[in-house]
Amino acid sequence: MEVTYKINRKDPENGGESGYATYQVDLPEDATVLDGLQKIRDEQDDSLAFRASCCQGTCGECAVRINYKAQFTCTTRIGDVTKKAPEVQLDPVRNISVIKDLVFDMDAFTWDKMAAVKPWMEPDEEFAPTENIVSEKDMADVRKTMSCYQCGLCDEGCAVLPVNFDFLGPGAMVKSYRFVMDPRESGAQMDARMKVVEQPQGLWDCVHCYEADGKCPRRLTPSTKIMEMRDVSFKEGIKNEKVGRHHASFINSVKQTGWLDERKLVMETEGLTNVGGLMKLLPTAVRALRRGKMPGRHEKRPGADQIKRILEKAEDSK
Amino acid sequence: MKYAFYPGCVAKGGCPELYSAAVKVAEKLDIELEEMTDVSCTGAGCMPTQLSDPINARTFAKAEQMGLPIMTICSTCQGVFSQANHRLQDPEYREEINREYLAEEGLSYQGTTEVTHMLWVLFEDYGIEKLKSLIERPLSGLKVSPFYGCFIRRPGNIMVPTKEVGGRRTYLEDLTRILGAENVDISGKTKCCGFPILTANEEASLGMVSKHAGESKGNGADCMVTPCPLCHLNLDGNQPRAESQKGEKIDLPIIHLPQLVGLALGFDPDEMQLSRHIVSTKAVNDKIDMLT
Repeated sequence: MEVTYKINRKDPENGGESGYATYQVDLPEDATVLDGLQKIRDEQDDSLAFRASCCQGTCGECAVRINYKAQFTCTTRIGDVTKKAPEVQLDPVRNISVIKDLVFDMDAFTWDKMAAVKPWMEPDEEFAPTENIVSEKDMADVRKTMSCYQCGLCDEGCAVLPVNFDFLGPGAMVKSYRFVMDPRESGAQMDARMKVVEQPQGLWDCVHCYEADGKCPRRLTPSTKIMEMRDVSFKEGIKNEKVGRHHASFINSVKQTGWLDERKLVMETEGLTNVGGLMKLLPTAVRALRRGKMPGRHEKRPGADQIKRILEKAEDSK
Repeated sequence: MKYAFYPGCVAKGGCPELYSAAVKVAEKLDIELEEMTDVSCTGAGCMPTQLSDPINARTFAKAEQMGLPIMTICSTCQGVFSQANHRLQDPEYREEINREYLAEEGLSYQGTTEVTHMLWVLFEDYGIEKLKSLIERPLSGLKVSPFYGCFIRRPGNIMVPTKEVGGRRTYLEDLTRILGAENVDISGKTKCCGFPILTANEEASLGMVSKHAGESKGNGADCMVTPCPLCHLNLDGNQPRAESQKGEKIDLPIIHLPQLVGLALGFDPDEMQLSRHIVSTKAVNDKIDMLT
């Protein structure tokens, strides 16, 4: 079948202009998008740059956007793509600088972020010197996350990275999860691990929008993993001071009155002795006051005592 | 048609205009609301599930006693509730929560409470044809960017669990059109508004406000509509700060879902309390005035 490839080409290093180039390729229906790319490079244009390695969907090297959806070229059949659209449009993945054509900067995208979360285990020294036996129950979930391809598709769909590329992203967070949940790191090691996970641009910079859960080809649900690590952080004690104040104020407010006291939350999050932080809130507070948006008196709700009882018991059971 | 009404903390706090608009619109549509007053905040994704699941189970048990489904007007409440209710469908987990936390108060959650957002109610319970018949002021010429935010859309298996409710992915665009307004699409309509990281990374949070509101304005919208008051708080309340950060004026009014419905049902901007927004809604008010 005759297929039209429309490829977003860029050559920033050589000052080349970016734009779409169109190629006609004759391919069997069961060919993959990657087969077409290889054919174009072999027969029509050897300057075309793209990545591929395993050619069986297990390495993640060939991630690009195929008709706007980030996928692997090596496992996407041309017949499936052309069923929905007349041509195959290929763009590099989003949120990342392009080196050339469909080749993106994998160091910045994946490896630098992975390195920042200390992707190796430091087992507790008190463990037995011979064998460290861990139960299947403890390891099943951890082992699953070890199957991460590190392809970056979760980061590609992340809502934070387009506005803050320094965010470590869901990929590096999944890597963290593998160590946070591993029982061999405990005590002081666990404490050190959580400090790494909760570093600025880490765990607390995620907006928990669950976008990443739908992007992972291994179905590792990165967003859910991030939320599970937040639950761990809560149990271990939140390491990020401002976030810690925010959570404490939130929970106290619900305990005292049954619902959230937004005014108190904003002030207590900044810190009641943090004059600079509080002053920064002033213009927003004045605007809210003028518009009648400032919350009124925060009344205790009926049922608040029961809510407090439940929350205190749940806290004790951690 | 009657619901156990769960307005959420923000509609009773920082966005009082949302509460009054929802109540007025429900009354006009003859949707009866019995407000739940003795129940807790959902935890808003800020509390660990270990704390929020028991207090949300309590809320569900109370609704079960009332024999009513819960209606929310906040995507964040809806999302946290839906996720909790999903976990509480596991009988073993539910029984543990009942035993450990609810029994002392004589409550027990059986897992039957339905939780639904006002946006979903209009399509799935109320009926769009009936809504259409009540439109007194089609919002012709008003250009609106639908902004879902994240909580009402994801996780997909929980928020859009079956094909029958697959329409939830386009309700906001559909509704805008039904009310007579024109859709102005933006790329980030199902992305996060930035509110959840205001504490951890204010700069990135405000960056999201500029991105979404700026794109909408650039595409020619008069306003944005959202089913989530937390999106509203960030996109409206923090828009002036986002503008300062970016060094660029945006000036885009952010309308709550019930307010937009209310305007089409014939309520005036004052009745929908548009004057309570931080970003002036003049562009919207002027168009509405022309339609009146």
